[in-house]
Amino acid sequence: MEYKMETQNLNVWYGDNHVLKDVDLKILENQVTALIGPSGCGKSTLLMTLNRLIELIDGARVEGRVLLDGEDIYNHDVDVTDIRRRVGMVFQKPNPLPKSIYENVAYGPRIHGVRDKKKLDRIVKKSLQAVGLWDEVHDRLNDSAFNLSVGQQQRLCIARALAVKPEVLLMDEPCSALDPTTTRRIEEVIRALKTTITVVIVTHNMHQAMRVSDYTAFLYMGRIAEYGETEQVFENPKNPLTRDYINGRFG
Amino acid sequence: MRQRRIWEKIVPLALSIPASIVVLTFLVVVVVVGLRGIGVLSWEMVATSIYHGGIAEAVVGTLYLLVGAAIMAAVVGIATAVYLVEYAPGGRLSRIVTQALNNLAGVPTIIFGLFGAIFFCRILGLGVSLLSGWLILTCMMLPIVVRGSQEALRMVPKSFRDAAQALGASKWRTIRDVVLPTAAPGLATSVILGVSRVAGETAAILFVCSPVLAPLPKSPLEPTVALATYIWLVLMTQPDPERALALASAACLVLLVVVMLLNTVAYAIRVYYRRRWGRIGV
Repeated sequence: MEYKMETQNLNVWYGDNHVLKDVDLKILENQVTALIGPSGCGKSTLLMTLNRLIELIDGARVEGRVLLDGEDIYNHDVDVTDIRRRVGMVFQKPNPLPKSIYENVAYGPRIHGVRDKKKLDRIVKKSLQAVGLWDEVHDRLNDSAFNLSVGQQQRLCIARALAVKPEVLLMDEPCSALDPTTTRRIEEVIRALKTTITVVIVTHNMHQAMRVSDYTAFLYMGRIAEYGETEQVFENPKNPLTRDYINGRFG
Repeated sequence: MRQRRIWEKIVPLALSIPASIVVLTFLVVVVVVGLRGIGVLSWEMVATSIYHGGIAEAVVGTLYLLVGAAIMAAVVGIATAVYLVEYAPGGRLSRIVTQALNNLAGVPTIIFGLFGAIFFCRILGLGVSLLSGWLILTCMMLPIVVRGSQEALRMVPKSFRDAAQALGASKWRTIRDVVLPTAAPGLATSVILGVSRVAGETAAILFVCSPVLAPLPKSPLEPTVALATYIWLVLMTQPDPERALALASAACLVLLVVVMLLNTVAYAIRVYYRRRWGRIGV
């Protein structure tokens, strides 16, 4: 199988704080990879290195390589705009922009040069359909995105990320602010997405990791303590730390 | 115990007296100026030339001055704030600029007047003119506009910036598409507050815009009379003191209405945006 993304010897510091240590992570194409681990273990940081959002954090320093289709995304001649189009991000808290529902989804394509109104209409419809939001909002696309419920807002944010046709979608605890029903809906979306894109999801919820992911990496104190197929990691972990964490002895 | 209960009643009562004095002061100003002004003010007066017992040139001159200065101060002030907040936060330059603005805010207005007369009118050769007035008022508005705009920009949630940049928007694009529109009501408010601060400015523009009565300017390089300077001029030069007071009160009332209108607009903008987007910190 093909590696869609790969980190090699990745180290990250926030000031003097060494938060990621020699991380070698392999992300398989069209699979869902879950990142689990206790708070502060570096899951979110690792996620942010995968589309260079880490560069927006003051004092963050990245060393090592992050490959996307075999190319280092930190190379000087790489266009960060292009990387962020190919590797999208969904945040922990739904963060719609203070624009209409339509404009939220159309904003990404606009950034990347789509001007044709018909084409934008099509992208908006398709993206909203992909997250099951079209039927709920198609008659009020010009309403403020803030009028949606939290769960709808998060699905809107996923639709917004999908609108630029990313190859990889990063999700940072996308369901932590949501109720179980909405969580289930988003998990369905993730499973459906897998046929076309690669997903990396950070989650605190072990059951969610088991339900949605094919591969799981367990991070502990900035290092990858265990990595493998989700079933193996959960049922037959090689590292005793993983077993303790999964069984809720810490975290 | 009993004593404490008495104090609990006395303290708020005692504190409410200064609080009501504040309200009372405002009301007295409005009533005194208003009553005197309303007695003489009429549409006819507003439409009549200052040479024939009206205040027309002063009203229009004030609008010219304020609109021009507002545009200049908005451009320079908001640009400065964007630079300070988005590009150079906490840097050395940012500290220097902030300190300079603080100092600028504390300069007595007569000094601005003298500076303007020397620098803009003479050294830059702009003469006693509307343009010199715009520049001097812009200088005076900048501290308010920059500080207000900085606040408005800082209020824009980080999650908005993250959202745009995660989609691939460049920093400038994020500022243009997301930060500025979100901060717009706050930015507009800061400009309007700046305008209302200088609307009644007299000392700073008297010798810069026109120390005597003047006809309406046909270009920015001609002198102009404003309501505030007109009030001063009419009190100084009108031989009949009763007439002088009446004219001055009428001009004062118009000025008061202008300032209160500006503040109302600032308030309305905030309310409108709150309704539209909910409370998102602007």
